Amino acid sequence: MNRLERPEIRLGAAEEALIGLLREAGADTAAERLRTDGLPTRRVEAYHFTDLKALIREVPATLAARAEPGKGVRIDGTAAIRLVNGRLVASDPAPAGVEVGTADADKPLGEAIPDVLAAALAPETAKIRITRDLEQPLHISIETEGAAAVSATRADIEVADGVAGTIVLTLSGSDAAHFVNAAVSVRLGAGARVTFVQIDEQGAAVRQIVHTDFRLAADASLRALTVNRGASLSRADLSARFDGAGAHADFTGLNLIGADQHADISLNVSHAVPDTTSQELFKSVVRGHAKAVFQGKIVVERGAQKTDAKMMAQGLILTEGAQVNHKPELEIFADDVVCGHGATCGELDAESLFYLMSRGIPRAEAESMLIEAFVAELIEPIEAQPVRALLAGLVAQWLGTAARAEAA
Amino acid sequence: MSEKLLEIKDLHVTVEDREILKGVDLSVGGGEVHAIMGRNGSGKSTLAHALAGREGYEVTGGAVLLGGRDLLAMEPDERAVAGLFLAFQYPTEIPGVATMTFLRSALNAQRKARGEAELSTPDFLRHVREAAGRLKIDADMLKRALNVGFSGGEKKRTEILQMAVFEPTLCVMDETDSGLDIDALKTVAEGVNAMRAPDRGFVVITHYQRLLNHIVPDFVHVFADGRIVESGGQELALELESKGYAAFDEKAA
Repeated sequence: MNRLERPEIRLGAAEEALIGLLREAGADTAAERLRTDGLPTRRVEAYHFTDLKALIREVPATLAARAEPGKGVRIDGTAAIRLVNGRLVASDPAPAGVEVGTADADKPLGEAIPDVLAAALAPETAKIRITRDLEQPLHISIETEGAAAVSATRADIEVADGVAGTIVLTLSGSDAAHFVNAAVSVRLGAGARVTFVQIDEQGAAVRQIVHTDFRLAADASLRALTVNRGASLSRADLSARFDGAGAHADFTGLNLIGADQHADISLNVSHAVPDTTSQELFKSVVRGHAKAVFQGKIVVERGAQKTDAKMMAQGLILTEGAQVNHKPELEIFADDVVCGHGATCGELDAESLFYLMSRGIPRAEAESMLIEAFVAELIEPIEAQPVRALLAGLVAQWLGTAARAEAA
Repeated sequence: MSEKLLEIKDLHVTVEDREILKGVDLSVGGGEVHAIMGRNGSGKSTLAHALAGREGYEVTGGAVLLGGRDLLAMEPDERAVAGLFLAFQYPTEIPGVATMTFLRSALNAQRKARGEAELSTPDFLRHVREAAGRLKIDADMLKRALNVGFSGGEKKRTEILQMAVFEPTLCVMDETDSGLDIDALKTVAEGVNAMRAPDRGFVVITHYQRLLNHIVPDFVHVFADGRIVESGGQELALELESKGYAAFDEKAA
């Protein structure tokens, strides 16, 4: 039976609370937008697999207040910039070659409701400018501290022309049931060479939506790795636009989840000018009743000839009841391009498992070896040792937890 | 010397609801090399996989004892710990797992399960390098992902390298000679011969007599329609080579 779309939507408790917070913040336009549209549901194509309205029934009634760093992630061998409850913590000295400041909250990074929320609720926009090659990785730590709260963060990162370095962005904080919203823009100047690793290190009660927007000028090169693993709900929106010829990007990602977690990486890449290339490789490892989503859209705009883009999505399902959803899309408006996509999904390879076990390796250890091998392809290209060690450590920790859970 | 390492008694195995092994009897003593010959589809490889405990190979009857212990009650990893080694006909490629890491994990897992101390790094490396040298395996190959991009010959030599590193008591070689040129065949045979010992037994599965010129068997068994139809000494292999398998088919019927 067909039913006509109703003009008035029914607002849930989460939407009512967010509208209240937006009004308190004086963001009446944003409040009105949320009242009219509500949180996106599965009927909105970009949220088909991640129905925010259904997944976020309630949010805390308060906006995160100014706080000091607490339980946020620390990474040895990196220089850190901390953004706690949406605000730059001034106490840490800026690393050499990095200019750090703040500005009033900026306009939204995009049109979507989460972009509108982040821009309206963030108390300020952190401005980070990297003007010299980074000697050690720059750790930008977005932390939500204190009791359960709604927390919004805006940050703009600019890498000057010709500058190289590794940036690791973590999202972490106290174990409370925060609703975290972050919008980060990353601008690569001409010839800049950047590795950008984003890791969800949130507690299990957190729901988060993070939008990271990349712009690449001519001859810039980017390797991006996005990891979802901590939050109960983590939606990572990645958008990218190639603005100059000769630019290349590797977009990679990993959903490493279990129990009832829901992790989504949604990528939208626009090749806007000729002679740019990108490679996309996204992997999900899921167990329990977790649900992983990868959506990847590559757009080759009119006149963007000689674009070369290849996208691959691979899912590894460890238990019955876990699921992986892949949605690759290509939109091509130029005729001299090479574009392709592929997706695979399955269990651990039985042949490989038998081979390892036939050599005396117990099943649990053999499974761990194969899972580590599956994700190694994402971690190995990260050159900065402290970041690689962090990533390898978090995979090992995830696998260790698995072994203990089985023994219990 | 006559103590039986491996005792297979009236073994019946079904794969996908089809009975493939129809009552295999075989005893292998310490120091003995047994060759199993037979045409394609006679069940030779099924025997190898059933011994190693591969999923989908359902034992519907019979018994297998390794060193007096019930092999069929064990998981595949426990069988390796008990001293069984299967050299695969088609070794599996495992991307992302370096050969050296694999060798070390497997050896240490076996030692740990047997209650032995793990080998120190220098001892382990020496152990592997010696074996690799004998088998003409380049040290660089050990850094590569296990079997990935290895040629057929490299894969087979790596299987024998594993055999040398793990030092099993019973080695089952499933058509190790297939896909090998004559030089590689000699290298592999030398590797195997170097491991012949009074407390170790071999079951060598092959189509062709060729391999048995280099690894000289004590016993030859002819396999047809899921069972051993004829057993004899080395001369049986030569007889097979001249007469072909057809001469033995009626015995299977």
